[in-house]
Amino acid sequence: MAALTGTMSWFCCGNSWGPCGTAGHGACGTCNSGSFQHAWPNASAACFNITRPDACGVTMSRRGCGFRHYTTNRCNGKRVGTTIADCGPQTDLWCGERACCGSVCGTNRIVDLTPAAYSQIASLSSGLQPCSVDTV
Amino acid sequence: MTENLDRRRLLTSAVVGSAALAGATALGSLAPEAAFAAGEQAIEPGAPDPNFAEGRITGISAGMLFVTGSDTALWRIRITGGTSIWKLRPTTFEQVAVGDGLYARGLRLPDGTLAADSVWVNIVNVHAHIAAIGRNLLHLDHKGKRIVGHLVPGTSAARYNNTPAVSDMSMLRVGKHVQVIGAWVPDTNEVQIATVYANA
Repeated sequence: MAALTGTMSWFCCGNSWGPCGTAGHGACGTCNSGSFQHAWPNASAACFNITRPDACGVTMSRRGCGFRHYTTNRCNGKRVGTTIADCGPQTDLWCGERACCGSVCGTNRIVDLTPAAYSQIASLSSGLQPCSVDTV
Repeated sequence: MTENLDRRRLLTSAVVGSAALAGATALGSLAPEAAFAAGEQAIEPGAPDPNFAEGRITGISAGMLFVTGSDTALWRIRITGGTSIWKLRPTTFEQVAVGDGLYARGLRLPDGTLAADSVWVNIVNVHAHIAAIGRNLLHLDHKGKRIVGHLVPGTSAARYNNTPAVSDMSMLRVGKHVQVIGAWVPDTNEVQIATVYANA
């Protein structure tokens, strides 16, 4: 499978403080901010019906809880392996949105990483970065 | 050997007292964007990362943050001259306070402390809808609850789709969805806004 390119952000889950305090453990019931996990827009049929990446022209495979993906920050080449623990991002709310660093750009939100995973490959303060997602 | 690995080893050495950290900046930027951990991933996908901490600060002493994790884990996070600290913007250790929430990434040492490369204080990443707009205020609906976002002159910025960050907030609209990177004001429903992402 060719890598899927787009943008990545981060989200909190599990026990937490502040506005994240009510986040819960995600659609899979296993999500924790301190673990190497991610949200995937096509984690189930019900999930897909909410996130609708197809509305932005993005085709992505259905993969369930625990499936392993590898996300690469295209700004610096750093990569992190994570498992699906939640449904998201809601891709259709952001159709056409781009994030760039220099001439490297990603379009459409395709993955949200936990803070532990995102901070492995980018600064949390960066918020949104171009990325690619692969299975190996 | 990579630059980042060099940096981490130097940081660790400095923490255990065998090297002067003054040379750390010679290895590269210590800005948040550059200071996060590097190297091959040793942690299994799906597993907790021992080099990452989360929680609220219960004590501060001699360059150490005492943190109680939201899962009740107790952390001792060592701040060094090489640690990058973000609290709404890149800042200094003096701005960190008891009661603040944080995420920290670094290197777990044999004594159990986390030698921090980066600490993000009170950082939140909120996906919400704009319920109302006031003078230097955004009222946000977030999962059925109201969050008051304060625009901080000179700091807050907006990114509209693929534009660079700008200080002009005039394209924000009530009812639109936004993503907000900001700093939570502890024990309130308020955040100070660093960046608003809007699909204008």
